[in-house]
Amino acid sequence: MLRLEAPGAIDHVQALFRRWQDDGDRDAREELVRMHMPLARGLARRYGRSSEPFEDLLQVASLGLLKALDRYDAERGHPFASFAVPTILGEMRRYFRDSGWAVHVPRGAQERALKVRDARERLANRNGRAPTVNQLAEYLELDIEAVIDALQAVHAYDTLSLDAPRPSADGDGEAYVDSLGGEDERFELVELDATLAAVLGEIPPRERLILHMRFVEDLTQTEIAQRLSISQMQVSRLLRRSLEQLRTLTQAG
Amino acid sequence: MAEIPNVRLSLPGSAENVLVVRQALTGVAASVTLDAIECNDVNTAVSEACNNVVMHAYDGSEGPLEVDVFARRGAIAVVVRDHGRGMRPRELEPDEAHTGMGIPVIQALTRRAEFTHLAGGGTEVRMEFDTPKARSLDPIDGDDDPAVVRMQAPVEGTVELQLAPNAIARSVLPRVLSALAARAYFSTDRIADVQLAADELTAGAHGSISGARLDVGVKVAPRNLQLRVGPLRTGGTLAMSLLDERADDR
Repeated sequence: MLRLEAPGAIDHVQALFRRWQDDGDRDAREELVRMHMPLARGLARRYGRSSEPFEDLLQVASLGLLKALDRYDAERGHPFASFAVPTILGEMRRYFRDSGWAVHVPRGAQERALKVRDARERLANRNGRAPTVNQLAEYLELDIEAVIDALQAVHAYDTLSLDAPRPSADGDGEAYVDSLGGEDERFELVELDATLAAVLGEIPPRERLILHMRFVEDLTQTEIAQRLSISQMQVSRLLRRSLEQLRTLTQAG
Repeated sequence: MAEIPNVRLSLPGSAENVLVVRQALTGVAASVTLDAIECNDVNTAVSEACNNVVMHAYDGSEGPLEVDVFARRGAIAVVVRDHGRGMRPRELEPDEAHTGMGIPVIQALTRRAEFTHLAGGGTEVRMEFDTPKARSLDPIDGDDDPAVVRMQAPVEGTVELQLAPNAIARSVLPRVLSALAARAYFSTDRIADVQLAADELTAGAHGSISGARLDVGVKVAPRNLQLRVGPLRTGGTLAMSLLDERADDR
């Protein structure tokens, strides 16, 4: 944990407060601000993690610090930090409430999810394989947590749009699959029982092919996407659909 | 009767695992419909408590970190526990010169924060949050199941989760597994697979597990997540490996 005030420093801080609050000594105030800026910065970083532009939040935190400096009652003997932390956090929360941050955040997150999805496709096309989270984070200058959040949002979006009509870009893929339709697609999902084989016939040929590529040929979603000229997201969506179908069918059987 | 958490996490107390805790909390927040500010408050306060365990509880070495999440109507409570030295309540005394930033942050963001010494060593920090709009969720039904009340010690180095197999598991498990897969250098391709697998596990859980909760253990190695899922209705646990043989080591 951050140590805010070394034992000996407390007296020095109290002396500065007396100079500022009793005598109006602006140099003392400057000194107090300079001493406690790391506190404001630390709180802005902790509380603001992945959203607001950091500079904005730091400004709000600094404002909170100034407020705390003016209102702190040194006579009561509590260390300044224990008074300043709630004051600064309170200022940031109020700023979030007032600026409609709670409403903006979901929209910001959505935009970021799209950015992450696009970057993933771009890097995958450039390198011939999907990037790792670290590579994406580096490429987009986001932190790891923001990228994971975005991947989750993309995934949730895929789930919601399962029932949406298939994008027309599928056309090429469809033809490719049709041309392979007659091929014997022996399919074995490791450790799954034989009832599966019986229900696989119920899965449309293209989905069956994707299952085959993914689980038998062990291709990545990106590689499948490239072979079928569709996007990785579509592959993911189709995989999900067929797995769900498989589950329904095996449970019914 | 002991209160049963909706989500229970037991994991090595390392800095990188604080991210896993945050993902789990974000998953809970999504399933009880917290707004972004409430979610941020919970995440910030709990991160402070976890960071304290990571940095101070075990005098520089790594020990277990346990997090319980209780989602009740209008209120979220999170308990962070260690079995080492933990936060000492004397650090709370206002005239103590060594005031850390963590405890004031926790106190500022919670409705109530309680610090308790555990018999046999360790500290428990219970944080209660005002979240008036939070939906309530079914708790894990553990009346007949003493194992829920006291979690077994985790296998060395694994991340252990206990979840009620409902909406909360669907929202928490994919996030937690994604965070672990990211750490194991999985490509985003394989993370998409991991998310699918997590969805399948939680969707199928009701039919295939024997108790009222889903236990998931994850061992993280480079490009390899080893999962144990149970308890199965047929007895035992399901073991599976999620692999990424292609990814770069970074």
